[in-house]
Amino acid sequence: MRVVEAVLSIFINPQFYKIALTVATPLIFASLGGVFSEITGVVNIALEGIILMGAFTSVVFTYLTGNVWFGVLMAIVAGLLMALLHAWGSIKWAGNQVVLGTALILLSQGITGFLMEPIFGQPGQTDFVGKIDEITIPGLAKVPFIGQVIGEISPFVYIAFGCVAFGWWLIYKTKLGLRMRAVGENPEAADTLGVNVYAIRYFGVLMSGVFASLAGAYLSVGEIGQFKELMSGGRGFIGLAAMIVGKWNPIGAMLSSLFFGFFGAFANQLQSLQQIQVPANVKPLFDTIPFILTIVVVAGVVGRSRPPKADGVPYEKSA
Amino acid sequence: MKKVLALLLMTLVLTAGFAFKAIMVTDTGGLGDKSFNDGTWAGIQRAAKELGVEAKVIMSNEQSDYIPNLTKAAEEVLKEKDGGIVFAVGFMMQDALEKVARQYPTVYFAGIDISFDKELPNVINFLFKEQESAFLVGYIAAAMTRTGKVGFVGGIPIPPVERFRYGYEAGIKAYMDLKGKKVTVIRGYTNEFSDPKKGKDLANSQFSQGVDIIFAAAGACGNGVIEAAKERTEKLAGKGYENIKKYALSGKPVYYAIGVDVDQDYMAPGVVLTSAMKGIDTAGYYGVMWAYKGQFKGGLKVLGLKENGVRMSEMKYTKEIIDKLAPGAIKELEYLKSLIIEGKVIVPDSEEALKAFTVKGVKLPR
Repeated sequence: MRVVEAVLSIFINPQFYKIALTVATPLIFASLGGVFSEITGVVNIALEGIILMGAFTSVVFTYLTGNVWFGVLMAIVAGLLMALLHAWGSIKWAGNQVVLGTALILLSQGITGFLMEPIFGQPGQTDFVGKIDEITIPGLAKVPFIGQVIGEISPFVYIAFGCVAFGWWLIYKTKLGLRMRAVGENPEAADTLGVNVYAIRYFGVLMSGVFASLAGAYLSVGEIGQFKELMSGGRGFIGLAAMIVGKWNPIGAMLSSLFFGFFGAFANQLQSLQQIQVPANVKPLFDTIPFILTIVVVAGVVGRSRPPKADGVPYEKSA
Repeated sequence: MKKVLALLLMTLVLTAGFAFKAIMVTDTGGLGDKSFNDGTWAGIQRAAKELGVEAKVIMSNEQSDYIPNLTKAAEEVLKEKDGGIVFAVGFMMQDALEKVARQYPTVYFAGIDISFDKELPNVINFLFKEQESAFLVGYIAAAMTRTGKVGFVGGIPIPPVERFRYGYEAGIKAYMDLKGKKVTVIRGYTNEFSDPKKGKDLANSQFSQGVDIIFAAAGACGNGVIEAAKERTEKLAGKGYENIKKYALSGKPVYYAIGVDVDQDYMAPGVVLTSAMKGIDTAGYYGVMWAYKGQFKGGLKVLGLKENGVRMSEMKYTKEIIDKLAPGAIKELEYLKSLIIEGKVIVPDSEEALKAFTVKGVKLPR
């Protein structure tokens, strides 16, 4: 009975929902990046590396210029460059996309680790360089309960939901979106109809770089205000899991990211309760939930999830 | 006279041509971790400078580097006329150090945070009484909390992290015994040491449960804990140390974090209440000194408050606030510290000892 009471006390705590949203935000960005890339037929496991790069670049430029938003802008540029590398290798040269993605992850870990010393004069982690404060939505902040959840929160949370809406509109309501989906399902047919398969795929991969770098910028200047090596913490992969569970749909990816976020926050709240003592090894168990769920969904137990048909297959024009 | 002697000694050493070498092999954290790698290196350098001997560092990029790097270091020391000492840094290097040290029985080794089941005559195992510094910060936390709830955020529950927790909870218990104030501890683990955002999320969870002070023993996750406390305090008091100090001195409740390993007070002045420090440099310093002066003795060497192996920070930014809001606490702390050093109070280093711990017999001086 005490357990039920304790769990209920979590669900009536508005702060729980706020933490859940902030846990989900980087996952939303990452999964949206995955959707944009894979829907055009390019597997992008480099997300993890792009997140790290975004986190690093935003801190570097915040440190150099003192302007956090400029840092975010440069993070997007860095994300675009990383994505361009991936696109170039996997589209132009028809390389193995998983191998390329892995290489990019290692590359970003190497570059960020190497540049720490020359830029900040110390390896490992930077000091606090400045961060983007939470914004208060006038009016909304005064509403009971909801105000405590989203009335005063990092602007990145709003940006993430904006990006999801934009992504959904672009993919399902525009001609470009139709072409993206066509290229991911059947590039030959799309090519025959005069769609530039390469250009569309480049677009998809580059957009995934933009979103993943925003996830990174949020983690560093959006939440903490410093960079720490390997701070991406596997969020690129959890984002990919959210994309799969969300069936390669921006809304679905967002919902699964939220679901994962709620579990993360729930594990934290459970540990923080006074009424019940939760052993320390419960946390790693909760951390595996995204991946267990992915296996369940991929195996077809709960609602089949099917990737775009040409996902991961390089397109080579037959002469 | 002393100066002349020192000068003579220096020239002697110099002409002898650096026949002694101190080599440190880092763990994968590497230099710049602001924790045990940097700490050990600082101590080694200090000793090397005083003695005028050569000090060198070998970085390990992955765990499979440990054995080759330690072997390389041992070979280098063997070549020196007067020998030297090899440092292995961090709990994770335990097995590698044991293997290599057995292969080179004539080379001196020192392991930081490393202990063996069976001690070797050529290895000093430095361990720290983390619990003693944590005891002190726990006492301060109990004295400063307004809500009667304080938090603990740990990384992975490995022995050094757990020792921090035992000491912290013991310090809180001591305050409750002596002052009759009821304080609850809420604890949680991030399960890693390198993701600040996870530390921040967990800290916010604890704050949302009514906690107002959190002690983080979680590596870089602790940065997130500090950031969470800073964010909440700044929302109440405004930005900048002056504002925070003024607000806190006025007696209004704020949020605090407590740092770990090194002096982290500077990371958020006025918000980081104090830091439970591990004097890892002390181990590096004495390791070199003993090996050089022929005072080397293998076996376990546990450094506590008494040996200056652990301590708490100076509280440069918060001393005034603590004096105002918890008058006498710092003085009581000095007294308790002296009792620990004299061995009259033994800070628990296990769950059982923590359960049995009490300071009921202690009388605070008037």
